[in-house]
Amino acid sequence: MKDKTTKRILAFFLLISVILFAVAVQAARNIKQSSDSSDWVNHTHATILEIDALRTALSVAEASARSYSWSNNAHDLTTSKKALSDIGEHLSITQALTRYDSNKAEEVSDIEALVNQRISSLRNILTTTAKGKAAAARGLSNRDAGNEVSIDIQRRLKKLKDRELAQLTERDIESYLQAQKTRWIIWAGVTLNVLLLAVVGWLIKHDINTRRQAAAALQAANEQLEIRVKERTAELADANQQLSMDNLEQQWTNQTLEHQLRYNQRIVDSISDLVFVLTKTSNISRMNPAVLHHCGWETTDLINQPLAKVVELDDDTNNPSNGSLKLAMKEGHDLRDQKANLKNKQGHQTPVMLSMFPLRDQNKIVGGVVTIQTT
Amino acid sequence: MGFFCGGLVGHALTMNELLRDRKMTPKRFANHFESFRFDDRFVFDVQDPHQFLSQRKGDCIDYAVLADHVLTHHGYTTRLIRVEMVGIDAGHAVCYVDDDRVYLDYNNRKYFFNLKRSGPSIRQVAKKIAASFEANWTFAQEFAFDYDSFNKRVIYTVVKIEPPSSDPDVIARKESS
Repeated sequence: MKDKTTKRILAFFLLISVILFAVAVQAARNIKQSSDSSDWVNHTHATILEIDALRTALSVAEASARSYSWSNNAHDLTTSKKALSDIGEHLSITQALTRYDSNKAEEVSDIEALVNQRISSLRNILTTTAKGKAAAARGLSNRDAGNEVSIDIQRRLKKLKDRELAQLTERDIESYLQAQKTRWIIWAGVTLNVLLLAVVGWLIKHDINTRRQAAAALQAANEQLEIRVKERTAELADANQQLSMDNLEQQWTNQTLEHQLRYNQRIVDSISDLVFVLTKTSNISRMNPAVLHHCGWETTDLINQPLAKVVELDDDTNNPSNGSLKLAMKEGHDLRDQKANLKNKQGHQTPVMLSMFPLRDQNKIVGGVVTIQTT
Repeated sequence: MGFFCGGLVGHALTMNELLRDRKMTPKRFANHFESFRFDDRFVFDVQDPHQFLSQRKGDCIDYAVLADHVLTHHGYTTRLIRVEMVGIDAGHAVCYVDDDRVYLDYNNRKYFFNLKRSGPSIRQVAKKIAASFEANWTFAQEFAFDYDSFNKRVIYTVVKIEPPSSDPDVIARKESS
């Protein structure tokens, strides 16, 4: 969840960066194009200004030359010369400004030929006047009035200017559209980026909410867990207490049983009669100290040994090795006060009275208890 | 007082002083005009140099043409350059000194750095000048002028919208080298 959101946000920021870069590149390109368009507009204005200046200089040169031919005034001569010089300068600039277009250049070249013709005519008037040939100069001046070449030059210059004005409009429109395009690109880019930023903002907000919810759920789970831990701890404490009490009771029981067992053992050990505990096969499994005292046997000498090693019934000729005792034990009835002979370790026999009691456990005979009374 | 006081008001600087100064440099020349005033006649005509110096008043072309005249006299290779800008009547003229790759501009006469560095092409100079006016230029010309005839003669005209490689002064320089 976290990684996915981070990747999405990074992807959006990457997209925003790409859009910003593209908008910046496009804007820079458009600014360059706008600058070029602006240069073209300025260039056209400059050309129109030069054409106007050329027309004005031509008119001034013509008027001052005619005026000079009539007035012979030096100021008119100076004005005319200055105007003629200006014609050359403006024509030269007009040529330079229109040389990028072969049609215009050709047109200006034609105008130049006509202008040179006019300059020659006007210089002729000035020279004639300066030489003092007033009548001839006035004649030249009169003939020059309404000159076809001059009208043609003015017409051609006006036509050239009109073309420049038409181009000016075109270039101005181009420049305007360029600026409009730049505006659109920038605003579109900005709007798109704002939208993308809004999406990123929403993603971040959503992520934060999700994290808050997860944190709240985790906290609730922790609290629940804590409650369960407390409950379980209490249960365990109770169980532990109960167990302690059980243990104590068990300990007490064990102590009681042990005490009882020891007490029983004491009882058996305190009896002066000889007591044997037999297995089902009549082997000795236990005995009391009186056996050892009367016979001189050690415990290890008798354990797992047949009872016949120590004591044998007297009238058991048909059933040697205590056969009647084994039979009684098997059948589960007592033998009481049977005559028998007790053998000590040295082999000496002593007449005794033997009793046998079958030993039961859950109604099954698991062995027997034999008591010997010495006389 | 000598030429070092040329910038002080009251001292009538003369053409002879300028021509005879053996230590003349573009910087030294420009320093003389710090206190000159601007004549806003708005025509692209050259004033008589003596009048310019005595009245201590003129415009860009008076200064550029005088610099061209004086520095050429002292062995410098100079060029007169006129730049036409949008909305600026009669354009602006400067004197470019090829040896130092600087131009003398009347508008900079009051500054300590009264020479401006620029590349040698007309287009480079035009760009610098237009930038100093914060304006767009449309065309620029290299022209010659002499005080004898008082005639301006256009040598090259560079048009901004044309590619720089087609500038006539660049082509001429390539051909000569």
